[in-house]
Amino acid sequence: MSTALGDRIDSSILDRWHPVAPLEELKPGAIRTTSLLGQRLAIEVDADGNVTTTAVDSPGQNLPTLSKYCYLWVCLGEPNVPLFAVPEVDEPGRRILHAGTIGVHVSAPRAVENFLDMAHFPYVHTDILGEEPHSEVAEYQVHVDPDTNDLWATDCVFWQPMAATTSTTGQLTDYLYRVPHPYCVILYKTSPIDERMDVIALFCQPVADDYIQANMFLCLLDDENSTSMIRNFQLTIFGQDKPILENQYPKCLPLDPSAETPIRADKVAVSYRRWLSDLGVNYGVIPA
Amino acid sequence: MIKLYDYVLSANCYKIRFLLSILDIEYETVLVDFYPGREHKGEDFRRDVNPLGHIPVIDDDGFVMRDAHAILVYLAAKYDSSKQWYPVEDPVRLGETAQWLTFADGTTNTASAARLHVNMGYDFAIDAVRAGAHELFRVADEHLWFREQQGDAWLVSGSHPTIADLAVFPDVTMAEEGGVDLLDYPALVRWADRVKQIPGFLVMPGIFPFGGGQ
Amino acid sequence: MAVAISTPLDRANAMTRWHPVATEHDVATRSLFRGKLLGHEIVVWRADDGFVNVWENRCLHRGVRLSIGSNTGSELVCRYHAWRYANRSAGCTYIPAHPADSPARTITNKTFPSVQKYGLIWTAHDPHGDVPNIPVLDRTILDDTRGSDDVLGLRNVAVNASVPLVLEHLAQHRFLPSATIGSSSDVGADLAAADMTADVSDYTVTLTATSGHAESTVVFFVQPVDSARSVIRPVLAETASNPTVILRHHAAALARFVRSIESAAAETAAQAPMPAALETPVVLPTVATAVGRSAPLRVTVRRKWETAAGIAAFELVAMDSNTLPTFQPGAHIDVHLSGGIVRQYSITNGPGETDCYRIAVKRDPASKGGSVALHDDIHEGDELQISEPRNSFPLRRNMPHTVLIAGGIGATPLIAMAQALDKNRLNFDLHYFVSNADELAFSELLTSFGERFHSHIGLSPDKTGEQVTALLSAPAATHQVYACGPPPMLDAIRSIADQQGWPGDAVHFEYFENTNEIDQASTFSIDLARSGLTLDVPSGSSILDVLRSNDVPIVSSCEQGACGTCAATVLEGEPLHQDVYLNPSERAAGHTILTCVSRSTGGRLVLDL
Repeated sequence: MSTALGDRIDSSILDRWHPVAPLEELKPGAIRTTSLLGQRLAIEVDADGNVTTTAVDSPGQNLPTLSKYCYLWVCLGEPNVPLFAVPEVDEPGRRILHAGTIGVHVSAPRAVENFLDMAHFPYVHTDILGEEPHSEVAEYQVHVDPDTNDLWATDCVFWQPMAATTSTTGQLTDYLYRVPHPYCVILYKTSPIDERMDVIALFCQPVADDYIQANMFLCLLDDENSTSMIRNFQLTIFGQDKPILENQYPKCLPLDPSAETPIRADKVAVSYRRWLSDLGVNYGVIPA
Repeated sequence: MIKLYDYVLSANCYKIRFLLSILDIEYETVLVDFYPGREHKGEDFRRDVNPLGHIPVIDDDGFVMRDAHAILVYLAAKYDSSKQWYPVEDPVRLGETAQWLTFADGTTNTASAARLHVNMGYDFAIDAVRAGAHELFRVADEHLWFREQQGDAWLVSGSHPTIADLAVFPDVTMAEEGGVDLLDYPALVRWADRVKQIPGFLVMPGIFPFGGGQ
Repeated sequence: MAVAISTPLDRANAMTRWHPVATEHDVATRSLFRGKLLGHEIVVWRADDGFVNVWENRCLHRGVRLSIGSNTGSELVCRYHAWRYANRSAGCTYIPAHPADSPARTITNKTFPSVQKYGLIWTAHDPHGDVPNIPVLDRTILDDTRGSDDVLGLRNVAVNASVPLVLEHLAQHRFLPSATIGSSSDVGADLAAADMTADVSDYTVTLTATSGHAESTVVFFVQPVDSARSVIRPVLAETASNPTVILRHHAAALARFVRSIESAAAETAAQAPMPAALETPVVLPTVATAVGRSAPLRVTVRRKWETAAGIAAFELVAMDSNTLPTFQPGAHIDVHLSGGIVRQYSITNGPGETDCYRIAVKRDPASKGGSVALHDDIHEGDELQISEPRNSFPLRRNMPHTVLIAGGIGATPLIAMAQALDKNRLNFDLHYFVSNADELAFSELLTSFGERFHSHIGLSPDKTGEQVTALLSAPAATHQVYACGPPPMLDAIRSIADQQGWPGDAVHFEYFENTNEIDQASTFSIDLARSGLTLDVPSGSSILDVLRSNDVPIVSSCEQGACGTCAATVLEGEPLHQDVYLNPSERAAGHTILTCVSRSTGGRLVLDL
């Protein structure tokens, strides 16, 4: 199976870990099916809680798996690249949650690029993450970490009426964005109640090149609010993005720099597209 | 004060939020972790709130009701002084309202089901539910087109919308999330735009307002 | 003229023809209608001035469907980032993420022509010829003595079959003449009771039903949506006093008929769908070798009148019914007059008023001929040459409060700004200083601003200074100031604003005369290795501007330093990078420069152009 896939899908995607299920939904004695990169998978949990994952086409051949950050991750190729680190999960006082997984008919890179975008806050997440007239996106910085090759956007600032579930008033929020994987993006944002930053991540499962399961992972500084309230906030935000993503064409992200119309506020998106090109990604994108 | 057991992404809960907003009724929200927590299917919820394990549910000072469309009937009958949202005094319009509420049960089981399948992986025979949604939308589109020709705007005859419009609305307007394209139903789309202009209209994730960006 | 069932649609030919894509009803007030023609998704919307726009259904920014946005009556606002696109021109007029900038001219959606006829909206990809004339429908419209709605649009039906298949089958369709349709609309009536005659052409079937003396004709227009999908749009060639019965009869008859067409279609070989235009990435149009200060536009004076004492107003419309290029508040055009005279005049239009440019010219006897020529020698019906609009005085459109200070004819750009602020429900005050009350231009418009308009008549320079001091007495982060008028007045406003503590970037000026010294310190020169030119790039001009003004071929697109299109190779010198496109190693290497925003660290750059 790998060789056939390997002919079509570049190693930059094939040999990476991808999330395929929230751990809390894997029940002993049940078989859960899903698809990854167009391959049907069967995930089985035995009575002792051991998880085995196989491709439906090649049963008996256990795929490499890993349980991390609330999800089961699988690799269909050679897992040469270790899964990225999120050191905040080991900090004391952190609330770690799987907020939900939503199916979206769009490619993973489109979803990542939407997550990186602030200019839509006053319009798509009105009165929560942004409001008019505070629509301007101030200049921010973008760089690629020379050691990890992670793409970063820093010094991002935006006025937010309700930055988090813990907010009681509007505030100027500082944002840091980190892309450690072509289909995963992590946001660090000012917490209303702590000096440290809240960590919110989107881990996309590429079901097909134009279809994902969007997994929302949270590592927050919030002791007071119920799980329902926290999930309510994240699902509200993502539920507002979903119809935008599903009305975006083409569904795969075009990597040609002359495709689409970036503006200065799109600096990180311009860099993300070039970063994907440099990695050689050819799935979920229209190569340049 | 009315308590509403609610979930932000639920179309059926939204119908209640919509009517409560139109009638300007204050209420208290009890968030239910419908997904991913599946709280509504848990023992506690079934014992204390709704033995059938679904939402929305309201508790109006001890009077507890389930079933979105039934809740709409109760709230309109009790709190709408105009008697237009549930026209109890006009048998013809009342009958039509009941007919279109049943139609909304159909859209819940087709269009809304398709949306739950795509969004949250609910196990429905997706082709069948989509085909079912198209059948219903074709009928509604023709019905509304003729209404427009006669100078009317709503599902039920007359000049005032009813809870039937509220009951069908979110299932129609979010149908594309479930893969049901509305391209062939221009009269239905125009009707949905009119519903968005009802005073008291409010959005939910998945429903854009009419206009905006002035 | 029968069409074989298996004949596929000739797509190339279809692209040159006009097709109905919506009914007039579909473009109801403030809606956005999503349609599809020959595999291309389109958005159809009517502006408040009646113009029906047909655009490709995709925002140029990141490809989101425009049909989920909103129609403000003058602009279409995209749902994602609220970019605004103007009525008619489809040009982007505002990008909220950069509220002080004017979007590049290239950000203009693909448009299709539109014509309203027979109760339908017609469009074409690449029209050869006109919208079809259907004599039987034209006669009905002419014959209608009651003056009410002419022909009767019947219910349109979508069908999963190709146009040729639909035409073939429609020729066998049957219905009753209107006069014989009973009160129950005879849905189950014996349709064989009428004699049918059919006339089939490429996209139309005209059917006449006769029974005794009763006769009715319906023209069925068939729209090609995709290779196996069409919309049947029937129009009844008569006015109907009781339409409901007739509408129901036809809707039922056609619905039944469509089912039989679809069964037949299911049995034919499947056609490949037409290429879905939405699945091809949008490629941003590039502006190549744009002519700099020459005049690409020819316009006609549609109207000329005296709007105030000594001030002539002109409405200029495009010749050959072309669309005028997009503008934003604060923009001006160059007007070319005989003898090589070029003068700049601000556009006074509000948003969405895109069918003309409205300018006002003050007669200045001391001028070297420009204003006098316009006043005395140019009349309604005359042709003028003008440039595309340029904007060096863009309005920041996200401030809750704007103070507009106008001195004399300097009011013109501020009047455009006031209308834009008004439309966007942002607070403003327009203070218009003139020597005499009869010098206030566009007074009806000024009155429409109500209490936000303030006139100041005949004030001395000192009194003017006092008044301005009062206006600017309370600087606030939510306030901004735009001023335009004679240089001494602007200089005074500048120093008053400074004294009152206004931050420099909150106060904006447009000088109608340039009396400033050019700041040599930020000027540098560029040597063009291939063309052999040496050009100065002054402060305030970009390399791209200078290249364009000198007719040096260079392409551009976003003109914001984000897309990389305008890149040039640097042979010598050290670029000062101000773009967001080049990566760190490209910047360090210094071989590439984005000419729209970047400059030079030293006095000279050599470019490979």
